[in-house]
Amino acid sequence: MKINYLHLIAGLLICMLLVAGCTNQTTKTPPASNGTVILTYTKGTGPMPTLLGTDQIDGYIAWQPFVEVAPLAKIGRVLVYSGDMPPEGHWKNHPCCVFTATSDAIANRPDITNALTAALVLSTRYLEEHPAESAEIVADWLAGKGNFTYGDISVSSVDVLSSAFPTVRFINEPTDDWKRSNLEFVYAQRELGVLTGSLANSSDAQTISLLFDSSPYDAAAAMIGAGRIATPAPAKDPIGIGYLMSDHDAALFVAVKNWQYFNDTYGICIKPRDTSVSRPDIADLVVNGQKVAELRLISGDAGPQLMQLMATGNIQYALVGNPPAIAAADKGTPVKIIMALNVEGSGVVVSDSSPATDWPSFVAWAKERSDAGKPVKIAAPGKGSIQDVLMRYSLETSGLSVMEG
Amino acid sequence: MRYQRLLLPVLLLVVWEIAAFAVNNPFIIPSLTTVVPILIHPFSSSYTLGTGSLVWNAAISIQRVGLGFLIATVVAIPLGILMGRFQALNDAFDSLIELLRPIPPLAWVPLALAWFKIGLTSIVFIIFIGAFFPILLNTIDGVKAVKKTWLEVAMTLGAGERQILLKVLLPGAAPTIWTGLRVGFGIAWMCVVAAEWLPGISQGLGYLILYAYNFGQTNLIIAGMVVIGLIGLAIDLVFKSVERKWFSWRDLER
Repeated sequence: MKINYLHLIAGLLICMLLVAGCTNQTTKTPPASNGTVILTYTKGTGPMPTLLGTDQIDGYIAWQPFVEVAPLAKIGRVLVYSGDMPPEGHWKNHPCCVFTATSDAIANRPDITNALTAALVLSTRYLEEHPAESAEIVADWLAGKGNFTYGDISVSSVDVLSSAFPTVRFINEPTDDWKRSNLEFVYAQRELGVLTGSLANSSDAQTISLLFDSSPYDAAAAMIGAGRIATPAPAKDPIGIGYLMSDHDAALFVAVKNWQYFNDTYGICIKPRDTSVSRPDIADLVVNGQKVAELRLISGDAGPQLMQLMATGNIQYALVGNPPAIAAADKGTPVKIIMALNVEGSGVVVSDSSPATDWPSFVAWAKERSDAGKPVKIAAPGKGSIQDVLMRYSLETSGLSVMEG
Repeated sequence: MRYQRLLLPVLLLVVWEIAAFAVNNPFIIPSLTTVVPILIHPFSSSYTLGTGSLVWNAAISIQRVGLGFLIATVVAIPLGILMGRFQALNDAFDSLIELLRPIPPLAWVPLALAWFKIGLTSIVFIIFIGAFFPILLNTIDGVKAVKKTWLEVAMTLGAGERQILLKVLLPGAAPTIWTGLRVGFGIAWMCVVAAEWLPGISQGLGYLILYAYNFGQTNLIIAGMVVIGLIGLAIDLVFKSVERKWFSWRDLER
């Protein structure tokens, strides 16, 4: 009998596709325990509302403003904000986004690093004192003050940001407590096998020493306290600052958009070259009326991407979540965390059809669904992200096991 | 007959809208009523999350793709002619080209950033990668497909290498090279999303789509896709019309 090899290969491929299509991690019966929740990673928060709207997930954990989007766009409700996740009090003021710089920038451009840090500290203070105005500025930066459309519902970006702002705490001071609280994410990343370099086996003291350099913050705080920002020597080359399209990086947006106020009040500002656009990408660092550096404002899709840009010399500063900074430092990227940008600012959303109204009822629902062989599926932005760590920790301390799928 | 070409696209729109009504879940199939307002305001930036108007973003993308395509053309056509004409050169380059050709342009993004840094050069490099190989391979094929009798006649009549190139090889291979340019531009245009995914980019249709994706804005994503499709269609029509005008002699060939 003649064998037609092409048909044989095609047949094998079809069989493989069918097997692949029928095999799905998520359909496996979860291991016997108090219950299992499936965590699925969506590589960012963008797809989450759609996944929830099409019943592919039962909920998600995300950073703001995606938490607030759910109730406003009528696709889900907020179950719990990150600071209130279990165990009780454990995640109060949990670290989130941080301001980082390359070791080279701190060592060789100390005055500019101190001035930039001061600009962000002053902006953070403004954020806390003027939340409504700041929310509007951030809505302009993120969405040109336009509408977000989910399904057939459009919601004002200003409304979304105004709702989100009270759930984010904007602070800067890198206190010892705050530094230690970052260690939770180091431990979590070790467990996930993400840390394989210098932080894989380091002691807490070594980790803190490797991750943080708060000297620019101390210098900035001293200058602000004295009421006079020192004018740095002008930088010859443009300086890259990476940031994420999140309200957590509001300090940068407000510093740029409200440059006139900061210039007039404190003598330091990040002045955009083009004031007519929603998101300026070139600005000047101006101190005491003198332009000291051209700043390239580089937006990234995610923290790891910005850390990659830092490692390749494309940017010298970045506003990112602390897990990417930790992972980058572990792999040898010469990056240091200077200060906090915000704490808390994430939350868990569940579908409107879910019976869960708070964390205990969520746990009961998850156990019930797990027993019925259809575990609750929650989306998280990425493995090892702040939200992933928060969700895993809270589920496990509530007696639920986690399965990826 | 001309309007017959519009039948299927119009039918697709009708089916889409009926499906949107039947499914009744705008996350699965959004109604065109959420997309149309964006498309009918191509000069307004009020519908694009502050990323500038559709027309502005389209112009930026066309400029980037045009530059990448131009550089790919300038490099690929001479190399393709040489490889098609001289077997030794073909043997030297062939395996390297076949090794690099299957690598998707997106895979080059990290290296592009490391080598060319943030900015236009990285974007143009990604587009160049997309356009280069189809142009090169079609040029090689076109040159190799030039009839030996034509070359022999030219040589018999005393034509030198330069004359053979300009009077025989190039005109003979031109239709295939043109097809390569057409395919190359199509792929270059497809690469615009990958190229504008690079960090530090804040304009362009690819950026617009990815920015909308980061905020889950399906209607804006669809609007961006429609504009990319329409521009691709328009440019392809230009290529086809030139093909009909300049290379119709190929149909007469026996």
